[in-house]
Amino acid sequence: MNQVLTTPPAVGAPRPWKFPEATTTTTSSGSPVHVFDRPGQYVATVRVTIAMPLLAEPRELEGVATIMSRTLDEGTELRSANEFAAALERHGAAYGVDVSSDALHVEISVPVSHLAPAVQLLAEAVTRPAFNQADVGRHVTIRLGEINQERANAGYRAREAFSGHLFDPSTRRSRPTAGTPDTIRPLTNAQVADFYRRNIGPERAQMLFAGDATGVDVAGIIDEAFGGWTSTAGTALDTPEPLYLVGNRVVLVDRPGSVQSQLLIGCAGPDRRDPAWGAAAVANHVVGGTITSRVDTVLREEKGYTYGTRTSFAAPRKGGTFSLGGAVRTEVTGAAIGDALRILREARDGLTEQEVQEAKDSLIRTAPLRYEQADSVAQQVGSNIANGVPIDFADTYLTQIAATTAAEASEAYRRYVGTDGLLVVVVGEAKEVRPQLAELDLGELIDVS
Amino acid sequence: MPLTYPIAEQTLDNGLRVVVSSDRAVPIVAVNLWYDVGSRHEPEGLTGFAHLFEHLMFQGSRNVASGQHFSLLENAGASLNASTFFDRTNYFESLPSGGLDLALWLEADRMGYLLDAVNQENLDNQRDVVKEEKRQSYDNRPYGDSYERLVRLAFPADHPYAHMTIGSMADLDAASVEDVHAFFRKYYGPNNAVLTIVGDVSVEDAFDAAKRYFGHLPAIPQPPAAPDGTIGPLTEVHRDDVVSDVPSDLVTMMFRLPMDGTPELDAAGLALDVLAAGQSGRLNRRLVRDEQIAQSVSGGALPLIGGVSFGTLTGIASDGVDLQKVEDALLEEVEKLAEEGVTEDELATVQAQAERDWLEQLSTCAGRADEISHHALLFGDPNRINTRIDQVRAVTVEQVQAAAAQWIRAAGRVEVAYRRSENAGEQA
Repeated sequence: MNQVLTTPPAVGAPRPWKFPEATTTTTSSGSPVHVFDRPGQYVATVRVTIAMPLLAEPRELEGVATIMSRTLDEGTELRSANEFAAALERHGAAYGVDVSSDALHVEISVPVSHLAPAVQLLAEAVTRPAFNQADVGRHVTIRLGEINQERANAGYRAREAFSGHLFDPSTRRSRPTAGTPDTIRPLTNAQVADFYRRNIGPERAQMLFAGDATGVDVAGIIDEAFGGWTSTAGTALDTPEPLYLVGNRVVLVDRPGSVQSQLLIGCAGPDRRDPAWGAAAVANHVVGGTITSRVDTVLREEKGYTYGTRTSFAAPRKGGTFSLGGAVRTEVTGAAIGDALRILREARDGLTEQEVQEAKDSLIRTAPLRYEQADSVAQQVGSNIANGVPIDFADTYLTQIAATTAAEASEAYRRYVGTDGLLVVVVGEAKEVRPQLAELDLGELIDVS
Repeated sequence: MPLTYPIAEQTLDNGLRVVVSSDRAVPIVAVNLWYDVGSRHEPEGLTGFAHLFEHLMFQGSRNVASGQHFSLLENAGASLNASTFFDRTNYFESLPSGGLDLALWLEADRMGYLLDAVNQENLDNQRDVVKEEKRQSYDNRPYGDSYERLVRLAFPADHPYAHMTIGSMADLDAASVEDVHAFFRKYYGPNNAVLTIVGDVSVEDAFDAAKRYFGHLPAIPQPPAAPDGTIGPLTEVHRDDVVSDVPSDLVTMMFRLPMDGTPELDAAGLALDVLAAGQSGRLNRRLVRDEQIAQSVSGGALPLIGGVSFGTLTGIASDGVDLQKVEDALLEEVEKLAEEGVTEDELATVQAQAERDWLEQLSTCAGRADEISHHALLFGDPNRINTRIDQVRAVTVEQVQAAAAQWIRAAGRVEVAYRRSENAGEQA
């Protein structure tokens, strides 16, 4: 009766899928409100996305945007830090902030049954923060400790060195978003409050809800909480185009005691204004986006150098990057870099029709999975707003991918990767790694300790 | 009030338990297999084997070429992975519902015929990959060996939870292809697994598909049960003081806790949450906000099925603060909770947080499938996913204090403390 099938069964065509649609209204204070009704999603995300280009930070106070963001909930005009946390968590809510190079996101996730009181608390943090010196000072200290943790983390060190050597020093993104010890240590609560007054207000904010809105007046609840918000902050400054450094070069960050070398190899890339954004994603998927891609087929599956590497094209509002990241064992660092560079450069010769078709299938068909959870819808829309694209940009992206030919994917890749040189960052045991690098033609060697 | 996710169950003739939860609102389906083999089943000399299979299971089987498992599923739009834990191993994928047959065929082929593809070459290669995983996840990061140290102190040497899932690299190095084959034949078969299918498929079609692809696989001899790990609370203090190149001084303490699936474990978990969860937890209020002796605190319970669980509390000292102060404050709060208990308001807060976590976990087909497999395999009852919140809500302040008084005590703990070496200069 049961015959063992020796070949894979056919895959049925996927049901058509589109990014969820929003109902958009405006609060009394002028902020757009986008409501994504997601039936069955009993935990909702409410996210406030506020345009906040880091350009607004004075050079000597870099990190002030991060400290400001982290202290919004640390005491308000109505409650102490401890009282605020107790009230929010009593409703089963979780609160978080995220600062990117273009925007501040403040959000809660909360069971829909507790939506109204939790949104009131979210509004209290966003619109009525106290910025007491004790709370700001504590967060300055915590940030200084966090910098110590970051310096001990090989992946973080690689990202820091990558930004520092991919961007010109005049570009804000060449330095850490959350500031450095010399810019963080002197921060006062007056400076933090001043930054808030100049940069945070309803003209710059958009509100998002994603969750099961059955029988709930979501827009009304949000307007009730945020409708009275006033501010003197006007509209945000425009983010400038970044300036990139070019040429082949290698940055060796000494991390004594390392048993692996953390690698980050890359260059400039497109951003979402480029119509080839989707084609670049297709090319990335082929080259290094998955475990079956060209890079890991060699580095992981054939050679066993690594637990895994990934490549990506990533971009904020303006100016993207391409990078390949992963950790390899110390003794094979040179060999792994040599293989990785060879694969990245050979991909410039073109990607095959089959590779491109498989990448397109994978990227298009995984879309419903990526946005199944309410929170992932809110994350996507928040980053679309931050990146200056329409809130349904996911549909544009999928349309671009569906229309991409093998020639276009190859062209999008070739336009960026390896065209103006490649930056290679290695974080590891320098004395073991340096002789291995000497055998490769990587350009100028820059030592960092 | 219980949740209302539908659950249908059947056991195939070969012993495979199949659970289906249909949800036609989404265009996707999740397939999730839990095998009743984890690191607690590994005998001495074979540590790390359950996890090694997490790698070998992607290297092909009788009708699937190396790399094809990933590529076929990715092209169908799947997200896929596997994980290994003390109690079990799981393998899973979510994908557009037209790919259900493909997913089941691939899972069945490796359940039945993996060994056709396990040879010296891919054993050697995946052993190298596992070593890189260990370097990346344990050895090349500060405090990365803390759990290895803690479970060694918290349990007797031959206890099933005394070693981590990654295992010993010496054991892996010593493994022959025949050892690996023998381990697979012992544990991997339909009657030692639960298959869960959640999403865009009817109950009838899902059961038919499960039978079509798994029905012909023969049952394996009843695998040996994991050694009984039943053991009471710690009654002594054991510590491991490490001087190392860490960014900040850190202390983690571990307590044994009751077994998963009991009201006592729920109560103990909530006790640790009152101390360590969220911004309003006692430890964050006191150590981070009020006294500012710690940069951060964390903790919680790790539920386990084999006769005992464990839980941890961690504090990272603020720069310039003696770690002893952090340790003393943690222990004071531990004792205060055991002696004075928690307030109704504190308990209601951690229960509300647990409810949100649980609802989020069930908010995707993949998350629901995983919890269904979990509760079917370890507790024999997948319907528990619908009553889990009620169980947590039923815990009283008296139960929390009783669990804390018995299990979470200063005098019954193990601890690892990392301190920077004397000559390490200021880094910031």
